[in-house]
Amino acid sequence: MTNENILLVCVSPRRKGTSAMLLERIKNSIGGEIVFLNQKGSFEELIKKMQMAKTIVISGPTYINSYPARLFELLEKEVPNHKFSNQKLYGIINGGMPYIHTHEHGLFYLKLFAKENSFSWMGGFVLGGGAILDGQPLEKHLNHRKVVPLFDQFISCIGKGVFAPKELYEKGEVAIPKCITYVLSKALTSKVVKNLKKYDHNPSDLIYYLKELDSKN
Amino acid sequence: MITIISDDSKNNFMDTIKESIKKTTKKIVVFKANDLNVEPCLACASCGGKTYGRCILEDDMQKILPQIVRSEKMILVSPIVYGGVSFHIKKIMDRISSVGDPRYYMKNGELVKKMRIPDLKYYMVGIKENLTFEEELLFIKLHEENINIMSVDGKAFIVEKKLDNSIIEEILKEIIYD
Repeated sequence: MTNENILLVCVSPRRKGTSAMLLERIKNSIGGEIVFLNQKGSFEELIKKMQMAKTIVISGPTYINSYPARLFELLEKEVPNHKFSNQKLYGIINGGMPYIHTHEHGLFYLKLFAKENSFSWMGGFVLGGGAILDGQPLEKHLNHRKVVPLFDQFISCIGKGVFAPKELYEKGEVAIPKCITYVLSKALTSKVVKNLKKYDHNPSDLIYYLKELDSKN
Repeated sequence: MITIISDDSKNNFMDTIKESIKKTTKKIVVFKANDLNVEPCLACASCGGKTYGRCILEDDMQKILPQIVRSEKMILVSPIVYGGVSFHIKKIMDRISSVGDPRYYMKNGELVKKMRIPDLKYYMVGIKENLTFEEELLFIKLHEENINIMSVDGKAFIVEKKLDNSIIEEILKEIIYD
């Protein structure tokens, strides 16, 4: 079932990551067309699809605490040059860190964008601890017992065209005790170091860009 | 050394920036973000693995990154757009991950990261005329979240364009001598 009125825009450069997976979940539930934001070239085709849709859902990863720059480019440089008609806009942002505050700026950014550009901001969803999923279904999320029904409620809001309150994603945040955080930091670091060693690297290697100029001298 | 990266596409502060820094003896490098060719980060993870510490995209970031890793301070000067930085600046911010420390740390009970240049001070100067309080707070929040997760010190400054160029000069002075 496709609902051509819902445009699902994935702004991650990865086609099979968490951002795309969440849009697939939406599509399987209420329909919609998934499109991928290109990383270079013209926005023309995407703008046309956005103008034709009644509802737009933007799904992307957290880069440096907000959406990736390519989305910023679309919304800052291109959208203001075209006419839109109060399309409903929802946003999803997902990142590795299990804290909402780390990622939430993305949603507020979309809200201000909507205000300035004739879109109707309908709320969003922040998914922390999402990067680990790397495209696996939401049921594999570490907090899936809470997050799955909450995200499905968010999907239901999109389907009904109603505002999605922040409580939906706030309830999905889990308070991690200090001792577990400590263990996590060690475990994740150990994984990182193992991966570096695989490529003959060490975390304390001389910084590449320090080497680079020196060798030119 | 200080690296200043400024998006001059909506303002014309480059001259003011260059005049201000002439008055100091510190070594300062200035980049005009909107004139640079910077591609979006592709999340290929090479900088955290195969080519640790090096971004494989061949563009103007290869000129910027060597300056950043030699700097004690980095200043991003950006128009405020929807409570965030401009896309020119965001593209550069996204690519700075390549000089981030890939390991995980704990700070105030939360997981954080660090920079491989851990003493780096990170500043943002946001510029917009007729700025609402909501948008100002959002811009500051972005900077706060950045310095929290990067485990660096720094400060965000807001300039409402109606005020003249001397405000930019005051801000640069404050940062340079911080």
